[in-house]
Amino acid sequence: MSTGSSLGLGDVEIGDVWTRFMTYVVLTFLVMVNLVPFLFIISVSFTPPEAFFGDPSLVPANPTLEAWTKGFADLRDNLVNSAIIATGTAVISMAITIPGAYAFARKRFYGKKVGFYAIIVAMMFPYILLVIPVMDIWNSTGLYNTIPGMWIAYQIFVTPFAIWILRDFFQKLPQDLEEAAQVYGCTQFSAFVRVILPLAAPGIVAVGFLAFLTGWNDFLFSNLLTTGVGPVPAVPVLYGTIGGGSGERVYWGKLMAETLIIGAPPTVLYLFARNYLENAFAVK
Amino acid sequence: MATEVSDASAETEGQSRMASVWETFEENRFSYLLIMPTLVFLVLLMWIPFLRGVWMTLYEWPFGGSPTWIGLENYASLLEWKPFYTAFKATLWFSLTTAFQLLVALVAALSVREISRFTKAITGIFLLAYTVPPLVTGTIWAYLLAPDLGPFFTLLTEWGVLSETIYWGTNGSASMAVITFVTTWTFWPFMFLILSASLQNIDEELYESAQIYGANRLQTFWNVTLPHMKSAILVAVSIRLIWNLTKVSQVLQLTNGGPGYDTSVLAVLLYRFAYGRGQMGVAYTVGLVLFVVTIGFVFVFIREFEKASEEATA
Repeated sequence: MSTGSSLGLGDVEIGDVWTRFMTYVVLTFLVMVNLVPFLFIISVSFTPPEAFFGDPSLVPANPTLEAWTKGFADLRDNLVNSAIIATGTAVISMAITIPGAYAFARKRFYGKKVGFYAIIVAMMFPYILLVIPVMDIWNSTGLYNTIPGMWIAYQIFVTPFAIWILRDFFQKLPQDLEEAAQVYGCTQFSAFVRVILPLAAPGIVAVGFLAFLTGWNDFLFSNLLTTGVGPVPAVPVLYGTIGGGSGERVYWGKLMAETLIIGAPPTVLYLFARNYLENAFAVK
Repeated sequence: MATEVSDASAETEGQSRMASVWETFEENRFSYLLIMPTLVFLVLLMWIPFLRGVWMTLYEWPFGGSPTWIGLENYASLLEWKPFYTAFKATLWFSLTTAFQLLVALVAALSVREISRFTKAITGIFLLAYTVPPLVTGTIWAYLLAPDLGPFFTLLTEWGVLSETIYWGTNGSASMAVITFVTTWTFWPFMFLILSASLQNIDEELYESAQIYGANRLQTFWNVTLPHMKSAILVAVSIRLIWNLTKVSQVLQLTNGGPGYDTSVLAVLLYRFAYGRGQMGVAYTVGLVLFVVTIGFVFVFIREFEKASEEATA
């Protein structure tokens, strides 16, 4: 090769070595930027309150469990609420989106295209705006400050995205599965339930996870649709703890233990669901 | 006589049209049954609230109180209100986060493709930030970047990079930089997922033939990789652009929209009107501005999505 940048050294070229080197540098950098904040937080959560004004170090001098026990005690009820809200959100979203996505992927019917684009537009909607009428409607129908109210509200976030992902899974299945099933005596319905659903299980797991994640992670609705007397989930408890300049001393150790407690369940679930998730994001 | 005939034929035509409508319905009954929950969702949770919101902008609408009709007053007072323009400008700056997310995600996806080992561990670590609640990561960064005791500024001053810590909370541009950075850090993995998936779908043979023709890495990237990723990139950018502009939790936790209104992007402004003051009419008016700003990207998304699905079926 005559390009100036690559001197031939057998099969290995300087250009390749350089690319390889840069690849490792970039990846190491990104891994550090993602990992180091969490390592710091883990360390801080074991640091006693009085040790905060010293030099930062990754290994605390007199580690204490105080932050963790206090954090758990304060958050217990909210974590239960979060779990109920997120699980319900996932269950309802699957009931809505599995049949819908299946029809949009594999059935022909009048109005299919318009219907699907209505879903896509809903996905691209800056949904924060819906918070205003939803607050008002929930308030006048008694859904405000209730767990079912949260389940329903979260469908606004979940449904369009879930249909988008699931439709793709159903489309990838072999063309004539239903016909074959019907030859063997299945009805349209039993072909769907007994043949298609088991095959689409990876997509269903992915969508269930994303719906749970939405219900667990959201701040907007959980803060605006609940008050102190209602079923407050864990995330909004963190809000306002820094005080927004209220001058109150923050016990950062406890706060950081709480961030880890709240962040752990979705992370653990992710580790279980990740094999299913990787296929879920192909744009087709 | 003639009219009678045409009437009769019109009648049968009408009947047969009715019959054919019924027939289509009968044929597709199972399909319509399947999409029924989705349709109910769209109407009850999207369209009715959306339209009700538009109606609310014509009122002075206190949360839980009784509304008073004021016509276009909300729009007029918003347009006359100076902080609204501060918020609008902040929104434009803040939308740069989408470009940064794309850049990081693209570099990460291409780098991960180059290696053969540890890919699972590395992508797992990348996705950590996206899995955890944004308010949690916002809180974590609020600590890490705290000017007095957070490790970031403590270490930088100790190492002599900075002569003294930066109180970014009182400085508009510095606050803007902080929220843009934290948002980028949190949400780039979503783009990474979409871009990696699209990279995996590129045919190996294309790279082989590029090599045969003596293309170097840059040429291969420019002529093979990028064209194949174009749809995925545009889809990812338009989704993220809109979603980034609807996020409030990290901005609220880090700056509360301040100092003043300097980091009150439109979504945060909406939140401040709704939650802080209970002015639902004004809040939704702000929301409509955000809606108009973002609507163009919906069409970009649909066009690219359509293209991508045509390619997939071809």
